[in-house]
Parts: sequence; C-alpha cells; structure tokens
Amino acid sequence: MTLWTLAAAGLRHHWRAHVGVVLGAAVGCTVLVGALLVGSSVKLSLRVLADQRLGRTAWALSGRDRLFREELAANMTETLGDPVAPVLQLSGKAGRSDGSARANRVSVLGVDERFSELSIEDALPVPGPGEVVLNERLALQLNAVPGDQLVLRVRKASAISLDAPLAPHEDDSVALGVRVKAVAGGDRLGNFSLQANQVPPFNAFCALRDLQTATGLAGKDGEPARANLLLGGTAAGSETLRSALSKVWTLADAELKVMPCTQGGLELRTDRIFFDAETEAVALQAAPGARGIFSYFVNEIRAGERATPYSMVAAMGTPMVPDEMKDDEILLNAWLAEDLNAKTGAEVELAYFVVGPMQKLEEHRRRFTVRGVLPLEGATDDPTLMPDFPGLAHTDNCKDWDPSFPVDLDRIRDKDESYWDDYRGTPKAFVTLAAGRDMWTSRFGALTAVRYPDAKDREALAGEMRKRLDPAQLGLAIVPARANADASTADALDFGPLFVGFSFFLIVAAVLLMALLFVFGVERRAEEVGVLLAVGFTPVQVRRVLMLEGAALALAGGVFGSLCGIAYAQFMLYGLATIWRDAVQTSALSFHFDALALAAGAMGGVAVCLIAVILAVRKQVRRPARDLLSGSVTDEPVRMGRSRGRWVAIVSTVAALGIVVAMGARRDMVAAGGFFGAGALLLSAGLGALAALLSGLRGKGGAAASFGLGVLAVRNGTRRRGRSLATAGLLASGSFLIVAIGAFRLDAQLDATSRASGTGGFALLAQSALPIARDLNAKAVQDAYNFTDGELKNVQFVPLRLREGDDASCLNLSRAQQPQVWGVDPSVLAERKAFSFAAAEDGSGANPWLLLDAPAEGDVVPCILDQNTAQWGLHKGIGDTIEYTDGLGRRFYMRIVATVANSILQGAVLVSEARFVEKFPGVSGYRIFLIDAPSERAEAVSAVLSMQLGDLGFEATPAPRRLAEFNAVQNTYLSTFQVLGGLGLLLGSIGLGVVVLRNVLERRGELALLRAVGFTRGGLRRMVFGEHGALLVAGLGCGVVAAFVAVVPALRAPGGGFPFASLSVTLAAVLMNGLLWTWAATVFALRGPMLNALRNE
Amino acid sequence: MLLELQGVGKRFESAGGGAVLEILKDINLSVEAGESLAVVGPSGSGKSTLLNIIGALDRPTTGRVAFEGRDLAALDDDALAELRSRRIGFIFQAHHLLPQCSVLENVLVPTLILRDADLKASAEVRARELLQRVGLTERIAHHPGQLSGGERQRVAVVRALINRPKLLLADEPTGALDAGTASQLGELLVELNRDLGVTLITVTHAAGLAERMGRRLELRGGTLVQSSEANNP
Repeated sequence: MTLWTLAAAGLRHHWRAHVGVVLGAAVGCTVLVGALLVGSSVKLSLRVLADQRLGRTAWALSGRDRLFREELAANMTETLGDPVAPVLQLSGKAGRSDGSARANRVSVLGVDERFSELSIEDALPVPGPGEVVLNERLALQLNAVPGDQLVLRVRKASAISLDAPLAPHEDDSVALGVRVKAVAGGDRLGNFSLQANQVPPFNAFCALRDLQTATGLAGKDGEPARANLLLGGTAAGSETLRSALSKVWTLADAELKVMPCTQGGLELRTDRIFFDAETEAVALQAAPGARGIFSYFVNEIRAGERATPYSMVAAMGTPMVPDEMKDDEILLNAWLAEDLNAKTGAEVELAYFVVGPMQKLEEHRRRFTVRGVLPLEGATDDPTLMPDFPGLAHTDNCKDWDPSFPVDLDRIRDKDESYWDDYRGTPKAFVTLAAGRDMWTSRFGALTAVRYPDAKDREALAGEMRKRLDPAQLGLAIVPARANADASTADALDFGPLFVGFSFFLIVAAVLLMALLFVFGVERRAEEVGVLLAVGFTPVQVRRVLMLEGAALALAGGVFGSLCGIAYAQFMLYGLATIWRDAVQTSALSFHFDALALAAGAMGGVAVCLIAVILAVRKQVRRPARDLLSGSVTDEPVRMGRSRGRWVAIVSTVAALGIVVAMGARRDMVAAGGFFGAGALLLSAGLGALAALLSGLRGKGGAAASFGLGVLAVRNGTRRRGRSLATAGLLASGSFLIVAIGAFRLDAQLDATSRASGTGGFALLAQSALPIARDLNAKAVQDAYNFTDGELKNVQFVPLRLREGDDASCLNLSRAQQPQVWGVDPSVLAERKAFSFAAAEDGSGANPWLLLDAPAEGDVVPCILDQNTAQWGLHKGIGDTIEYTDGLGRRFYMRIVATVANSILQGAVLVSEARFVEKFPGVSGYRIFLIDAPSERAEAVSAVLSMQLGDLGFEATPAPRRLAEFNAVQNTYLSTFQVLGGLGLLLGSIGLGVVVLRNVLERRGELALLRAVGFTRGGLRRMVFGEHGALLVAGLGCGVVAAFVAVVPALRAPGGGFPFASLSVTLAAVLMNGLLWTWAATVFALRGPMLNALRNE
Repeated sequence: MLLELQGVGKRFESAGGGAVLEILKDINLSVEAGESLAVVGPSGSGKSTLLNIIGALDRPTTGRVAFEGRDLAALDDDALAELRSRRIGFIFQAHHLLPQCSVLENVLVPTLILRDADLKASAEVRARELLQRVGLTERIAHHPGQLSGGERQRVAVVRALINRPKLLLADEPTGALDAGTASQLGELLVELNRDLGVTLITVTHAAGLAERMGRRLELRGGTLVQSSEANNP
C-alpha cells in the first residue's frame, strides 16, 4: 500500500464522478492541441505551397529591369555543373479570344524544357510554338481548357526606361495568339513565383522562343537572345554563385557593347542609351584617353528668323570640340550654318525637351554663340554619334519617325529629309560636354557613348570593363529564392497562438469546468479527507494524494483530448477554408499531422489542467478534521461587504459614464477602445451591484409573513455568495467578451469619402499590369487613350511607382521578405491630408507625409507604411528599419517615420518618389493609382478606366471595397473568436449545472427537512431552479448590458456589420442551455427518497 | 504521566461577533499510561470537543495540554499530525472507512505516512494479526460496503491501533451500533486496553461501555467532575 495505490483506489472507486473531470480536461486539451495543430498545418501548408511555387529552384538571378543573354544560363550551367534555366518573365494580361473573360496582372513566362526540369514531381508540360500552359488559377479565371484560344498581351521588353528622355511608347505592347496546351497544377510548377504568397499568381507559360520573338528579344543581327531570369536548382553558397557569375558574365549581360568606332579606336555604347553613373565612372577609367559623348535630340535650332527642326546635337570634347571652347559656344556643321545662314559670332538658340515627372515634357531653350563652322566631312560626318533612339534610329525617312514625344512632321522640309537620307543622325551642332550635361542630364545618365581613340583590342577593353564592374551593381542580383521561401514560411503568421487566443474562453471554460467537477468530487469526499487528517496525514500529504488523482485524470483527459484535437484541427481548417476564408484568402490549407505540436498541445493542456487541479486542491483540506468528519457545512465568510460592492458599482458606473461622454461622437479605434473600457467598467459595476444585493439580502431578517419559497430561494442564493458571484461573473464576463469584441469590427464604408478615413478619401485604387509613364490627369494623355469628354470629369489621379515585391499585408500569410515598395509624391497626399496616422516620429508636425521628403541619411531612406502592415506583416514599429536591396544590387534601409491607421495602403512600403527613382532607377512608369472621383460615379469610372486602359492591364477597385478586403481579415478573426467564445460560454453554462448539483447535494439534508415538513418536490424544484436561474439571468444580463455599451461604435456605424443575428442566437443558446442544465441538475439532485438524507443527518 | 490537561478551556465566538459560547472551563485531567477512562455527559456538553483537544485535532482557548510531557501548544500543525500518526489512535461514531479501499488497505492507511521504515515494513503483518484478533481474517479483502456495521467499526478500531499508539481515543464508538454489537465492541476495547497496554479514553452516552472503563468522568456545565469510582477492568 502506497500513496499511489491509495490514489489509484480513489480513482477506481470514484470513476463515475471522474468521468466529467476527464471530459473537461479532454475538452481543454482538444482545443489546445487542435489550435496548435492548426498552426502547424498552416505552416506546413505554406511550406508545401512554397515548394509548389519554387519547385527545385534554389536560387534565382533576377535581372529585374535588365535583359541579359539567354546563353548566360548555359554558361552558368557549365561553370556550376548543374542545369540552370533561362526565363523571360514579363507582366501582361490574358484574355479569351472572344473577349468573354480576361485576367490582368498575368505573369507571362517564356520557358523551355530546362524550366520544366525544376518541377519536383510531375514536370510542367513544355509549351511548344503557339502554345501556352496556364496555371489552375488563371485557367479558372479565364474558364479555359486545353485547346482554347487565348490572347496574351505583354509589353515589348526594352532596355530603355519608359521614364527616360526620348523613351519608347508606353503602349508598345504586343499580342500573342496562343492555344492552351495544358493546365498545370501546383505540383507541376504551375504556381511558380519568387514572391511568397499563399494565393498563386496568374501564370501563363509560353515557349521561350515565342515570347522572345514577339518582344524582339530573340536575337538577330549578331544580337544575342535575351532573358531576364535565371533559375538554378542546386543549392550553392552565395559566394560560389557570385564567383560563377563573375567568371561567365559578359558586357552584353549588362546591355553594354564595345564596337569599332568609325573614327578609329573603339566605342562603348549601351542598349539603355544612357550610361548609369557607375558604368560611366568605370567606362571613363577603362582605357587611357576615354572620351565621353552626350548626343541629344533637339526640337529646333534657331538663328533669328530661320530655324532648323529636329536635329541631333552632340556634346563632346576633342577632336570635334576644342578644349578651350566655352560652354556658351557652339560649332555648327556646314549644312546647318547654311540653313540658318549663321556665321561665326552669330547667336543661335537650341530648343529641347527635358522630361519631368510623369513624362511631362518641358521644352527648354538655351542660347549659344557660334564659335565656328565645321565642314560636313571626315570626323564631322559621323552618323554613329546618334544613339539608337527608339522610333528614330532605324527609320528610312523622317516622315516615318515614330518617337514617343510629340514631333510635328509637317515641319520637316525636303532638305531635312535629304539630310536624313545622306547623313542619317549625324549631329548638326556640337557643344562642350559640360554644356550638354547641364542641359540634358537626367537620372538615367549623362553620357550616350564613350570613345577610346587609342584602343584597338575589343576583348581587352571588354575584359577591363568586366574586371572593374560588379554584376550586382548592374542589377544582376542573385536571390536566394529557397532560403527566402524558408524564411517567409518560418516567420509566417503563426496560427497556433492565434487560435489558442481565439479559443481562450473555451479553454478557460473547459478547465474551470474540470476544476469545478474535481473540487466537487473532493468536497463530496470530505469524510475521507477528515479520516486521513485524523490518522496523522498532514493537509499537504492529503492534497498530494488528491493531486495524484487529479494528475491521473488530467493525463487521461490529455490523451483523449489529443486524439479529439486532431479532429478539432481538421474541423477548424475546414472552417478556414470555408466560412473563415476571408482571413486566409485560400482554400489550399490542409491538415498536416505534427507530432511535436500534438505533444506540445497535450503537455500544455495537461499542465493547465494540473495547475487548475493544484489551485483547486490548494483550497481544499483547509477545514479541520473534526468538521470534515462531522459532515458539517459552514457558510463561507462574507468577503466583500455590502458597502464595498455598492461603492464598486457606483464608482464604476460614474467612470463608465465619464468615458462615454468623453468619447462623444468619435468614431475611430480610440472610441472603440474607450467604449470597450466603459463596457468593462459597467460589467464591474454590475457585479459589484450583485455582490451588494446578495449581501443585503443575506443580512435581511425579513418579516415572517413574507417568508415563502421565493424568499428562501433568494436567501439560498446569498448563502454561497462567493460561488454565486463566481458563477454569475463567469457568465457575465463570457457574454460581455463575446458581444463586446464586436466593437472592434472594422467597417470600410464608414466615412469612406473622408480624407481621414482608411480610403484616404480616394474613390478608387488601381493597379496596372504594364507601367504608365504619362500623366493621366493631362487632357492630351486622356485623349491619347481615347477617353471621351466628361468620362473623367472631376477625376484626379495620384500615380505611384511600384517596385514589385512580396505583399506585406494581412492577406499574405507568409512573412514578406522583400515587401513591395511604392514611390509617391508626398506633397500630393499632404495637400489632400489623406489618411490618418496611427503614429509618427516626434517633430513630424501636422503632416507626417512630408517626413518622406527628408533627404536620405547615408543609406537610410524614410518610409511610411500602414500600421497593420508594420505591426503584423513586418513586425516593425516607428524608428525601425527595413533592409532592402536597390535596383543596383546595393543594400539600403528604409526607416519607418510614420504609420497610417488601417488603410488601403496595407501591404506596401511607401517612400518618396524622389528616393524611389534614386534607388530603383530602372523601374519605369507608374503602376499604382489612387483616384479621386465622385463617389456616386466610382463604379462607372472604374469601368471606363478598365475599358480604355485595358491593354495596360489596368484594374481599378473601389477603395472601400479594397479596404473591406483587408478589414475582412480582422472581422473574420473576430467572428472566429465569437464562435469559439460562444462554445466556451455554452460549456460555462454546463458549469452552472454542476454548481446547481453541488449546491443541492450539499444541502440535501436541509432540503429533505423541507420535504419532511410538507414542501412538495415540485415546490423544491422551483425554488432551486429559481435561485440558480436568477444567477444565470443576472450573469448574462450583466454581461450583455455592459457589452452593448462597448459596441456603441459598431452599432452606430452606417450599415455596420454588427452580427446581431449570430450573437442573439449564441446568447439565446447560452441562456437555453444554462436553463436546461440548471433544470436537469435540479431534477437530478432532488430525485429519490430525500428523507434518507435526513436520517443520515 | 501520559496525558495532563491543566486549566483547559474552549470558547467559540459566534460568526456575527455576538455572544461567546464557553464549552469547556478550567478542565484539569491527568491520565496515566494504560489507564482506561470514560467521559460521559449530556449532548452538547463538550465531550467531543474535549476529545478533539486531547487528540490534537483542536487547540484549547486557554490552558495547557501535555502529552508524554510535551506541551502540545508548542507543536506546529505538522508536528501535531506526526503525533497523531505515531502516538494517538482515533475511533469515531461513524467508522469513516474509505469506500474505495479494502479492509486491509483501510487498516494500512495510517502507515502510508510513516517515516520509520521498519514499522512500515512490518505494518501488513501487524494489520493481519490485529484483524485476526478482532475476527476479520476472512474479510480482509472485502470493501467496507460488504461489511456489517459491527465489522466496519472493528476495522476502524484496528486502523486506530495499527501504528501502536499510546493513546486510543474513541468518540461514541458504539453510537451507531445495536446493543449486541455495541457490547462486543466494548469488550474488544477493554481487552485491547488490557492486553496491549494502550491508554483508552472514550466519550460515550452508553452507560454499559462507560462502566467497563477504569475511571469515569462527567462533563457538566463545561467542567469535568468525578462521576463514580473506577471499576476494575
């Protein structure tokens, strides 16, 4: 015989009483294990999705806006000894040939069999010529099946930025007619993406050669075929990859070319027309005698009344321009001098375009003095001085010019046409390099060519350039795709703790019920405890025996609960895939068994139950053995007197009223918090009042005439005041929490037109698949896009630049590694006072948007982002920095200077446009648009924009709808909490039944006496039911009344989504359930021959 | 001297802080080892309270209780529990057997907390001997629910004796028994007092049982008075 066997005997003997305890523990463990299994399932599902989107891809070489040689893949393969796949990935749109369905923001990927080999399981079907393979999401969107004809539209890839001076047309897109070959699921690499998101992209896979040909990148005339993405399947260290790249890259991969110069020596040119600063610096150092040239297209060269239209002017040094020539002097060639009738010393004026923001062309003018006239022969007759300006370089006649900037072809004279015929783009005038740079420098560069008169060996010069240039600086950045994916899933939103939080009340209710049942069992065994004490056990030893029993029960509950937890997790995941889908945006979450999560949940559950047992037992064995043995029940001492309860009620009510008055008509989250606080105070007030009432009734003598069963019931309720208050308190807190949490529901329609709201007062938020460089607010641009008069009346666009990246909003379950960055003109938002700020750095003044204008401090750039994105998506706060890689492969940091409250800006990091173009010079045009429009016309404007800008994949969403999508996540989580909390409350009402049983069995002798003196059984039932029913009603009433104060903000929201129906059902179910259990417990406790209890007494 | 009470008093205050109820007043009592003693008195006279104070289940409001020369007031709760475990055995009107345990297990319950390994090791042998002595050998594996009232009370007696106490306290031990069974139990208690040398103090209403004791005291008005001359056992 040991303490263990004593405990085991107790377990065996009281097994019936213990069933409830085990079930209570099991429910707690079920919920805990289930929640953790949901967490691990979501995490493992995200890992599966990451595997699906990457296949075997371990690293990627992303050219971003750079186009490198397709052959680079083969070169890397040779060096690394593992296959590397070249991909041409372009943004575009897709539609059915009959126009019945379309998808914007489609990722069009030109691939070959090397990409297909990256599949983990079944290989992606390799698209042949004229074929396309769609991923399932795109196929569903287009309602497409194999054999269907589709049209893909992609922008012709160009090395030249849309924002650059003399850039190509932004609508320079090309359509591909393709036939659907197959639809590929995630297991066949159909969902390929380098960006972490549980929602797959729209992917269309074409034959690499097809896409290259269609976009002019197939390579001809000695030009290599191009790609902009390399994918490697072998995990190699970044140093190994960098070293391999540095061995095999050529200048062609940096869009540079060394060619013989017509004037002797060699010349370095770039497909991007302008050399960026890094390349220019290296190029001027690459060989002795290097000379920079900056050629530009001018609109007019005028001397007095005579003018020559549309000419090239070159800014350069010797031999054309002598070193001593001044910056305000100009040399004319003989043809121009004659055309203008200008001689040495004459004044001429150049008119030329400079590109401002949004490709606004501003014509500038500058005067020069003619220093001399050069014969049009020899070095002066050099058409190669003109860069390959798109729309100009390869045309036969001036009349065929098709530049992106306005050219009045009527101004072109026959003599101009003859000049073009004879001399092509040979510059007609020459200025100093300094003067040229002063006039024409843009962020894209200040040189169009570098000449090396003394160099002869092309290979040697190219080698010198390669040696001096870092491919990463040219945008050839190696991305550790697999490591990023692992990090994004490892740091993903952890649903385990989230669901533990949601289930908190359910767990508490289950554990309380378990503890209640256990204590009940222990109390019924008072006599046993008394004997143990009497024979010399210390209270500690007695508790130890009881705890052993409790531990065994908790363990049994844990084991049973763990098994049920597996089913519970599957049920919750089903909920996430269906009714709570808004929170996760996908139905691709599936159950994954995780032994570790199961063990952690089971251990956690058992531990919680054990703590509950320890706390419950700690309060037992306090009564002396003599009382326990005599079976006497003593009423508990009064803890909180009537006056204290009354004071709590009064003070809490006054404080609650104070808060309500202070909050007044405010309708923000502060108000929501305030009203919640006021509700909580009213809850305390209610419970204080109840305590005072119970104390008051207890102390009352009462007139003999009024003494009846009702009075007796009330008196009984006051007897175990602590127990009564605890019961009512549990029900009140539960019902309060469940109803009041609705106060935090977000309503996107609330003040949607106000600038301070989450929409910023904007009616629409749009994103285009292809960049738009021009100002959509300009009438001329609107005309160019065929908008009719009035269609865009009172519509204003705020364009934002977009650097593609991970969605950092709450819609993305994975942790964003490189969030998307938006570049915005801060003054535009500051003027509008758009959005409300949740927080801002000290000294930000009235308008924190202007903080974005602060100059970069070293490699730190100020940024603003949505509060939810900062807190939940990136786990950052004010003053924190976000590490990022710029367009030139350099690391820089974005420091959070302010956060915007719950807005449509979620998911992105906003920096000023000026900083944006510094960091991402290659990202051209605008792709995000905040649009002001009359709210009643928002839908119509959205439709007309989608129609006219359809070829650009322009998609405008009403801003309140976009905000509602974000809000749906929080609202869905609140619903989840309310549903699970409701279940907890149902469980809590079962606890009330247990309390009834306890109370009645404890007083069985007294009730037997009442029966003996003539009370009917029905009368006693009514009395017992009445006293406990009153507790139920008081508890629920207290909680619900207090909660309705807390939800005032949600109630007064226009069209507020307060879930009256579901909450009413929940509360009614709780009330009915509570009454049912109370009645059942009453009937059970009062059954049988009660007079025996009297005899036992 | 095994037990000595000097000026022991016990007062209870009503919950509302009203009148003070004085149960015991200036009790003086000396009990020698091996003595048998009956305390009689009307209901509510404080007999059980006195027994609880003697058995270290309760503390007096005033006065001093010494057991084997040790002042019980100087002992903390754990030391009192140890004292009850090793030196004092209790028999109650209700047997208070643990329904989940067999007869043998019930008897062994007090040994579970013994620190003396030898005593613990020999406990089962001792339990079997004692159960044999009270005629319960056949019932050793039975549970309390399978025993008669007299048998249950005999198990309770054996349980009280298992740790070889110096003092056996019996609170109305025959109160719940019929006359015949009560007489048998009284006989058993006297035998045990005589054979084992254990001091026996019993509180009882039963005149028959009281008369078997060596000394008889009456509790009247909270004070202890000599009731009659001791009968020789």
